[in-house]
Amino acid sequence: MNKIEKQNKVVFELKNINLFYDDFQAIKDITMNINANEVTAFIGPSGCGKSTFIRILNRMNDLIPSCEITGDVLFKQKDAYNKDFDVIELRSKVGMVFQKPNPFPMSIYDNIAYGPKCQGIRDKKALDEIVESSLKKAALWNEVSDRLKKSAMSLSGGQQQRLCIARTIAMKPEVILMDEPTSALDPVSTSKIEDLINELKNDYTIVIVTHNMQQAARISDRTAFFLLGELIEFDDTTKIFSKPIHKKTEDYITGRFG
Amino acid sequence: MKTKEKQVKSHYDKIAHTTVYSLGFIGVIILTMVIIYVTMTGISLVNWDLISGDSQDINTNVYLTESQGQYIAQTNLDDDIYYSKVWGLGFIDSTDREGHAIVEIAYIHPDSPFIMSLDKNNNDENGNPVVIELTEDTAIEKAIFNNFTLFTFYTDGAEVMRDAFDQATQIDDVTVQVVGGGIRGSLITTLWMIVITLILAIPIGVSTAIYFNEFSKKSKFSDLIRTLVDMLTGVPSIIYGLLGAAVFIPLLNATGLTAGGSILSGALTMAVILLPTIIKSTEEALKIIPNDLRQGSLALGANQTQTIFKVVLPNATPGILTGVLLGIGRIMGESAALIFAVGAVTKDTVVLTERSSTLAVHIWVIMGGEAPNYELASAIAIIMLVFVFIINFVVKIFAKRLQKNMNWS
Repeated sequence: MNKIEKQNKVVFELKNINLFYDDFQAIKDITMNINANEVTAFIGPSGCGKSTFIRILNRMNDLIPSCEITGDVLFKQKDAYNKDFDVIELRSKVGMVFQKPNPFPMSIYDNIAYGPKCQGIRDKKALDEIVESSLKKAALWNEVSDRLKKSAMSLSGGQQQRLCIARTIAMKPEVILMDEPTSALDPVSTSKIEDLINELKNDYTIVIVTHNMQQAARISDRTAFFLLGELIEFDDTTKIFSKPIHKKTEDYITGRFG
Repeated sequence: MKTKEKQVKSHYDKIAHTTVYSLGFIGVIILTMVIIYVTMTGISLVNWDLISGDSQDINTNVYLTESQGQYIAQTNLDDDIYYSKVWGLGFIDSTDREGHAIVEIAYIHPDSPFIMSLDKNNNDENGNPVVIELTEDTAIEKAIFNNFTLFTFYTDGAEVMRDAFDQATQIDDVTVQVVGGGIRGSLITTLWMIVITLILAIPIGVSTAIYFNEFSKKSKFSDLIRTLVDMLTGVPSIIYGLLGAAVFIPLLNATGLTAGGSILSGALTMAVILLPTIIKSTEEALKIIPNDLRQGSLALGANQTQTIFKVVLPNATPGILTGVLLGIGRIMGESAALIFAVGAVTKDTVVLTERSSTLAVHIWVIMGGEAPNYELASAIAIIMLVFVFIINFVVKIFAKRLQKNMNWS
């Protein structure tokens, strides 16, 4: 599989990753590379470990006490799980958008400015600029520019999710992880987010978990198929969806199970 | 067969339905009756004088050197006012707030010598007697005339007292009294008790809850502590009162600030009583905050402290306020613990390092004597009800305003 990565710049190198919740092994010996400025999609049936796997990338699994990880996670050639590696810095470089839109119950402006403020940016003008550029990049500026001081909870679900993307962009990340970002949204909002992902691809590396195979086919450059904690197949999206190597992949994408 | 079953079931439903309705009705009726009783008994005493007045009677002894002759009343006085032409004073029978009969001055002639009566016990810096200006509504406790040969007491009633004054040619000693029974001191004490207790209990309680909910890993030990906190909520407050008397009073005395019970020792005791409530309600408030918000914050590179103080805590404020509100109610209503930890002494000048009573203890003092005074107790109860109502209202509005932009559910 490694041959496929060719000359592309590799952002994440994952080697022999195993993940345990107490006795349960959720991830079984997965090795893969994630390339820069590409959309990598993780597909697979529920409980296959794809959401768990994406959380390894920004160390969100640290929050679960019973969770144990073995293997190497290299973020730009550096061991992300090394004791000296600053998890705060990792998370500001590797942003995350969640399944359910989770804007903070504060104003739209404060939502975007929250991350930069936590990093110690206090200058009002700098924050204003960050808010504006982030909202523009998330294609939300035109809809909310006149009500930045309004509560983020007054936005629609789709707008909230784009706000969460804008919030992530405000941290100037290199990678954006998206954990089923459209599963709680209607088709119109979903297509808006998909358009947005296509835009963002130019500036950021995107890893997206999705249940929706059409979505993976539409937006991703490469697709990984997970089953029961194992990585079954990882290849160019066109290849996965036209002539998959594995029988299980074919069964899944043709809707025979899952 | 089927229809019969259905009928039986519908009968059960009807019985259950009726029971719920009637018991609910009884509950409402009982609560309404309590409020009606308190209001009916006490409302006649509720006025600004009660709220702002002293609780102790203030007695002053005055004397006059000579009689000035006759004073004709300038206005038509009511029939129940007995007017002494010789001294220009009108007397009336009345009762004080504790229900005892007293004689009050209802009218003073503008030229009456009593306008310029002299204080018997206090002199100014030059050694001259201090001039006391009598006002209407002061009571006369006793009077001695004509070289200590003629006496009259408040028990004589207004008419007899007037006759005695008319016979007098020289006033030796009149004890005038500003009638007490007011609750200003107790009201201020209650406010201080609330403020100091909350200042002590909120930071400790909220921090403890944050520790339990956000920091501590789930272990047998933390579960045990939680169970203990739950148990402490149910401990009768009188036990905490013992703690106050046995620990806080000696502790404060050792610092030299106080001698015996004080508002401070009471507030410390109340803070301990409130801790479990505040910990519990803060924990409940923290629990309902969706984990998504915490993760969202952490995923943005915020550390745990930033997450707690900028995202978690602001959103828990309405819940914490509910706990604080319960706490305020508890402080207002507490008597047993405070009688131990402070003492049951009503005061007019409130000093934090001295004994003083809250409104609840004030009621206990009033009702504790040989002649319980239901009217005054009910009047204080009304004021407490209004007080609680106002605090509820203010906190609810505050919480609502906070909650406006956080409907995440």
